Amino acid sequence: MRADEATLARLMVMSQKGDKQAYATLLTECQRWLTRYYGRRVAPAQLDDLVQETLMALHNKLATWDSSRPFLPWMAAIARYRWVDHLRRLYRAKECALVPDFAGQDDEPAIAARISIDRLLSMLPDAQARAIELVRIEGLSIAEASQATGQSESLVKVNIHRGLKKLAHMVEKA
Amino acid sequence: MTHPSDALIASLVGNLQPVKPLSFARGLGYALAAAAFSAIAVVVLFGIRPDVLAGRFDPVFLIATGLFLVLGIASVVTVIVMSRPQIGSDHGGWVWAAAMAALLPVAGLIVSFGGGSDIVSRDSIAHGLECLMVGCGASLLVFAMLVGWLRKGAPTAPDRAGLLTGIAAGSLGIFAFSLHCADNDIVHIGLWHSGVVILVAGLGRTLVPRLVRW
Repeated sequence: MRADEATLARLMVMSQKGDKQAYATLLTECQRWLTRYYGRRVAPAQLDDLVQETLMALHNKLATWDSSRPFLPWMAAIARYRWVDHLRRLYRAKECALVPDFAGQDDEPAIAARISIDRLLSMLPDAQARAIELVRIEGLSIAEASQATGQSESLVKVNIHRGLKKLAHMVEKA
Repeated sequence: MTHPSDALIASLVGNLQPVKPLSFARGLGYALAAAAFSAIAVVVLFGIRPDVLAGRFDPVFLIATGLFLVLGIASVVTVIVMSRPQIGSDHGGWVWAAAMAALLPVAGLIVSFGGGSDIVSRDSIAHGLECLMVGCGASLLVFAMLVGWLRKGAPTAPDRAGLLTGIAAGSLGIFAFSLHCADNDIVHIGLWHSGVVILVAGLGRTLVPRLVRW
């Protein structure tokens, strides 16, 4: 049975006062909620790590919840912030040089990152998604991307700029 | 069935200590106290304007200081709200106050292009730089207080929180210094007094996000 908003808020009030039993129940409910929330947003292999990171964030920022305000929007805001941070780290990791191939190299993080990025790009118009994919992910120059897509170089730049802005806005408002 | 997070939850529960929730009223109170202290410091160090001391209030002085005060308070309120994460929180109120305060530099530019004021003389620039420096100095206490508050909190938009910290501190800093600066020239106010807000806003946007990320 899922705990409702009122129950979670009561547990949180007790947790802020130092009630460990209430806090254990609260964190278990939060862990279930976060698993459902991130299940639609990240690759399965990254789910547990992100849930645990967010639980630690909730623990460190317990004082930022005000009992006069609802609990779930507070937790959702923290979850969304951690999710955006996670995506940022994934995106930056893709820009680092890869080590040379060796036996037993684990490609799963790169594949998982690609799944997350592909899900985001699918929400953009085709021209913008293609421009971002070619230049920012596959590393083509603007001129090469222009030849590949048939768009002018100016249009490629505009599509990248608009696409990234739209992605940032979607992620912020998610 | 054990879940991967069970050990972490047990550890977090073991480490639980009672916490004092961040209260909006307390945050606002601290910020206004810092602003009041800054204003008092300006008056003690530099003295209060002679016309205000004599009970005479210039309209430009009233409007300009009023706009800076309202912008400062609106921005402080927004920063305090932003320190507590919440989906659906509206952080847009300060924009209207900023738009109104932006009329000051716009009016200053219009008057200066019309030749209504001397802004390039050495005295004028020296006086303006004094306002800029002391106004920025008067904003430091509010700036530090808001950064401290944000570090205790959990701002989910650190970049915007940094910008607003700068706007709040700059506005309240120049409000404090306006109690001393006897210049009622709209060009001076629009250029140099607004310049304090813009400069401290830029500092806030640049420096604060890395200090408050969590």
